[in-house]
Amino acid sequence: TSVQTDWRVNVLIIVLTEMRDKLRKWREDNHRNSEQIVDVGEELINEHASKLGDDIWIIYEQVMIAALDCSRDDLAWTCLQELKRQFPGSQRVKRLAGMRLEALEKYEDASKQYDSILQDDPTNTAARKRKISILKAQGKSAEAIRELNEYLEQFVGDQEAWHELSELYINEHDYGKAAFCLEELMMTNPHNHLYCEQYAEVKYTQGGLENLELSRKYFAQALKLNNRNMRALFGLYMSASHIAASPKVNATVKKANVKYATWATNQINRAYQVSYARCLL
Amino acid sequence: MYNRNVSPSAKKSQPKLEWRSEHTSKEKKKDSHSIPILCVDCIPLFHGTLALAPMLEVALTLIDTWCKENKYVIAGYYQANERTKDFRPNQVAEKVGARIAENFSEAAMIMVDSTRFTMGCYEPILAIYDHHENKWKCRDCNVDSFEDWCEAQKITSALLEGRSYESLIDFDNHLDDLRNDWTNPEINKSVLHLC
Repeated sequence: TSVQTDWRVNVLIIVLTEMRDKLRKWREDNHRNSEQIVDVGEELINEHASKLGDDIWIIYEQVMIAALDCSRDDLAWTCLQELKRQFPGSQRVKRLAGMRLEALEKYEDASKQYDSILQDDPTNTAARKRKISILKAQGKSAEAIRELNEYLEQFVGDQEAWHELSELYINEHDYGKAAFCLEELMMTNPHNHLYCEQYAEVKYTQGGLENLELSRKYFAQALKLNNRNMRALFGLYMSASHIAASPKVNATVKKANVKYATWATNQINRAYQVSYARCLL
Repeated sequence: MYNRNVSPSAKKSQPKLEWRSEHTSKEKKKDSHSIPILCVDCIPLFHGTLALAPMLEVALTLIDTWCKENKYVIAGYYQANERTKDFRPNQVAEKVGARIAENFSEAAMIMVDSTRFTMGCYEPILAIYDHHENKWKCRDCNVDSFEDWCEAQKITSALLEGRSYESLIDFDNHLDDLRNDWTNPEINKSVLHLC
């Protein structure tokens, strides 16, 4: 009967809307839950493409990248063809084609793809960053670092790039240069507790009394910006304890750091108690 | 004004392969010196940058405390690198391994070879290193280092098919939310269930 058909159509619309909303939320939050994106996205594309309107194109892009993560070249290829057909000559689609070549480890071909984008548009930052990613994937860390430094001379406001560079330096155990990158990030983002906390970790790792004291201060600053940052709280405890235990500090400094460490311990215990209580709810 | 001068850096002696790690862990074992060491569990630590000291120290301390409460000892360290083709131990693995060896002389360091990792898990993909005279030496891979590889293969494959890794908690997850339990009781239950 027509009532039954209407009911089924309504359920279908609700399900599709939910799937579409899920994909949108994952896009907005920059989630890299690629298996789930493939699960939801593949069904949406295969069964309901016609009902998605213009959303379909950004969904093709999102699903394609997730498919590359899951080694689903079949699905990635399908999405790429649709996008090529709809947006011929698009730089954005060219970049996706390059990413597919990267996933297949065809790094030379991928690099050529990005070079061709840069020929038409030398300011295309996405293509430049993909080229640096290729170096990283090939294990060429020194070159990746060099290229990324050159990139940042031109695009000095690119936070993502500064953060990537700090990670590359940390992996090379070049903590001084990693600290410099994080200083850049803290300067432009003074309210970001994560940068503060990471800077403190780098300073702690560098070692030595001066760096430990600096690390304690930045762990404390991170806590001020976000009092639920557990890494900052643990870091405050560790750095204060090490300073207090150091034979190089005088009695006043020792006493102060014992106080900080004790305060941190109490806060940590409280945090665990609160979390256990929340578990029971 | 921030000081933009770069402070003197501590460089690594030689550029090596990129070695970012994905999962690191420690194994615990029942304390016993005369019979071969049996690792009975493992705790995944981090999935981000590994070369920073503070959180590693926190993890070591908390896990060591938990081990002592449960009559276990930290008996080793495993690491899987970010780049699939990169399966050699790096400076981080060697340092952490050495630290653990200070407390437990027969500590093992285990590197995961992701190039041979499959859903079926038919081959063991671990390279086990022992600490001899301040160096890490790889064990002969023809020697069977597993209590029951067939059983382990079946269980691991079943867990992969069931996507149990989606609920795996590591120490990073714990630091993000203290309610996340790095002892992974649910997964351990599933393992027992599949035995």
